[in-house]
Amino acid sequence: MLEIIASSAEDARDGYDLQKAMKWFDLSPEDRDRTMQLGEISESVAEAIIEAFYEHLLSDPVAAQHFHGPDHVEKVKAGQLRYFRELISAELDDDYIADRRRIGGIHERTGVTPTLYIGAYAFYLNRLATIVLDRMKEEPDSAFPLLLSLFKFAHFDMALALETYVDTREETIRDRERELSELPTPVLQLRPGLLLIPVVGTLDSFRARALTVQLLEGIRAHRARAVVLDITGVAAVDSAVANHLIQTMSAARLMGVRSVLTGLSAEVAQSLVKVGVTAEKLQTAGDLESGIELADRLMAG
Amino acid sequence: MQVEGALGGDIQAIRRDADVISARQSGRQIAERMGYSRPDQALIATAISELARNIVNYAGKGEIEITPVRRRGRMGLRIIARDHGPGIEDLERAMADGFSTGNSFGLGLPGAKRIMDDFDVVTAVGEGVVVTAIKWMGR
Repeated sequence: MLEIIASSAEDARDGYDLQKAMKWFDLSPEDRDRTMQLGEISESVAEAIIEAFYEHLLSDPVAAQHFHGPDHVEKVKAGQLRYFRELISAELDDDYIADRRRIGGIHERTGVTPTLYIGAYAFYLNRLATIVLDRMKEEPDSAFPLLLSLFKFAHFDMALALETYVDTREETIRDRERELSELPTPVLQLRPGLLLIPVVGTLDSFRARALTVQLLEGIRAHRARAVVLDITGVAAVDSAVANHLIQTMSAARLMGVRSVLTGLSAEVAQSLVKVGVTAEKLQTAGDLESGIELADRLMAG
Repeated sequence: MQVEGALGGDIQAIRRDADVISARQSGRQIAERMGYSRPDQALIATAISELARNIVNYAGKGEIEITPVRRRGRMGLRIIARDHGPGIEDLERAMADGFSTGNSFGLGLPGAKRIMDDFDVVTAVGEGVVVTAIKWMGR
């Protein structure tokens, strides 16, 4: 199960394995044949169901906010009509998959939540199934398999759209993270020759490299002789982060600059020692003030 | 050993640096809820960090599972780090300080081992790594 979930997420990035997905949803060409038999009934009632759905939807003031004007509502209705027509009869091919996934992305961007989407789906399926069972009440044994096939398709469909919904959201989050990680770290001159660099946020290898570059440029620009690196604002200090900091400080040392690390909490210091990070290579001070004093002494000495 | 469901637990997919941070924060919160001291919370968070970073660096992706457990009346926090990456060829060397095939201190596994009370690695080349580690309370 986990394997399948993980691989479906991967498919979303690396191209979709339709065969595998159909197997997972137990979908076969016979299912399509069966839903096609619902075509006539569905075609005759789809519009009415959608009308009823929008009446239901627009009676909710929050949901109604999604629409700007009657034209917009009509456009969305037309889209939905096409959507449900394809659910019944579209060929299961790459175009279909691409279309369903596109819809997931649109939903994410336009604020159509999974609740709204699945709710709309449930509304349509319930109404349609009720009508189908009513019209075929003389032959319920043939009606059921048709509906079961329809439900399989509906679930397959929802999974596609939601998968993309999530992917789109993750992409947005990744973009934000990247923006944040690209925020420049300020290099402040405390007094001639002494720099202060407050490091804030997370320190991954990308940011650590950027930090090193900024530090070295700052040293050159300000002709600094000592630097205080304050990591009070670093979210997670572990051996990898410590390694980045040591490399940054070694680079400064190569330019003839002494650096002092401050802002390490007692707990973090203890964990780092336990992990095996040694303080030999690091000049540290308990707080910013003593860090600045230490840097002053290093500059003088 | 029994799983303490009431105290919550978490499973976090690890694919990039940001996931390492989420996993360690989640571990710290669970440890806090269980009543671990602040230094112990920091130790647990660090161990999770080291294990999760190993996943990012060597396997690319995997997961961290954090579960409160109980054995003979004693509470503990179990961390399982699981990946399907290349596996570890020479486990003995990987468990030694300073051994690293990546650009790091090579403290990940031995460091996490020093922090945790129970530590077990199962690995096969080409199949991945599963590390199971427990920090017992009040030790």
